[in-house]
Amino acid sequence: MSVYPGFRDDLLAAVPSLRAFAVSLSKSADRADDLVQESLVKAWDKQNSYQPGTNLKAWLFTILRNEFYSQMRKRKREVEDADGAITGRLSVHPAQEGSVDLKDFRRALEQLPEDQREAIILIGASGFSYEEAAEICDCAVGTIKSRVSRARTRLQEILEISGEGDFGPDAISTQITNTAFIA
Amino acid sequence: MTRRGKDEDPLGANSEIGRKLRQYYDDLVTEDIPDRFSDLLNQLEQKSGAETAGNKD
Repeated sequence: MSVYPGFRDDLLAAVPSLRAFAVSLSKSADRADDLVQESLVKAWDKQNSYQPGTNLKAWLFTILRNEFYSQMRKRKREVEDADGAITGRLSVHPAQEGSVDLKDFRRALEQLPEDQREAIILIGASGFSYEEAAEICDCAVGTIKSRVSRARTRLQEILEISGEGDFGPDAISTQITNTAFIA
Repeated sequence: MTRRGKDEDPLGANSEIGRKLRQYYDDLVTEDIPDRFSDLLNQLEQKSGAETAGNKD
């Protein structure tokens, strides 16, 4: 049973926004789709914790965000374990290309730390209020405000200095010691 | 409900960053959605439908 009739349809209607947020967070279209899938399953399983009439989109974004960070922690461990074998996959750009202009913008956005990137996306693009974004990110309204402001400043700086070089994904140098523990 | 009040909107229509941000995001939102999501939701619904029916008595 659904928590209310039409719950399934409402989840489906939220998928485009969830995907956009997931791509913004994970920087990878493939990972984003996995994130959305995982989030929908979680949302379905815990649908009784959703209060009908409250903001479903915010509820779903919270689930997706938690899923993202828990996957990221897991991946970090995997990367460390796997001697950097997975690092290549971490930096796949989404298929989205768009205009050259927008490509530069996307790359600039990808350079922001996660907390700033999510804040500026939630406020500037997803249409959430500062209060809603604070709830989604489980932090104070003032924290969101300062993250948005730092993100904006940083984007401006990057976009002004960009143009000459092709800065791809950050080279995550996880040079894990190859030191074999040979006794 | 966006209540920006007297807060000046740093990402508003007059901001280039704000415009690009929305353009970037809107491109993503309007992408075609893979069928796997509606398939998944159908499965979840069927599964819980079956569970409910099974728990009837």
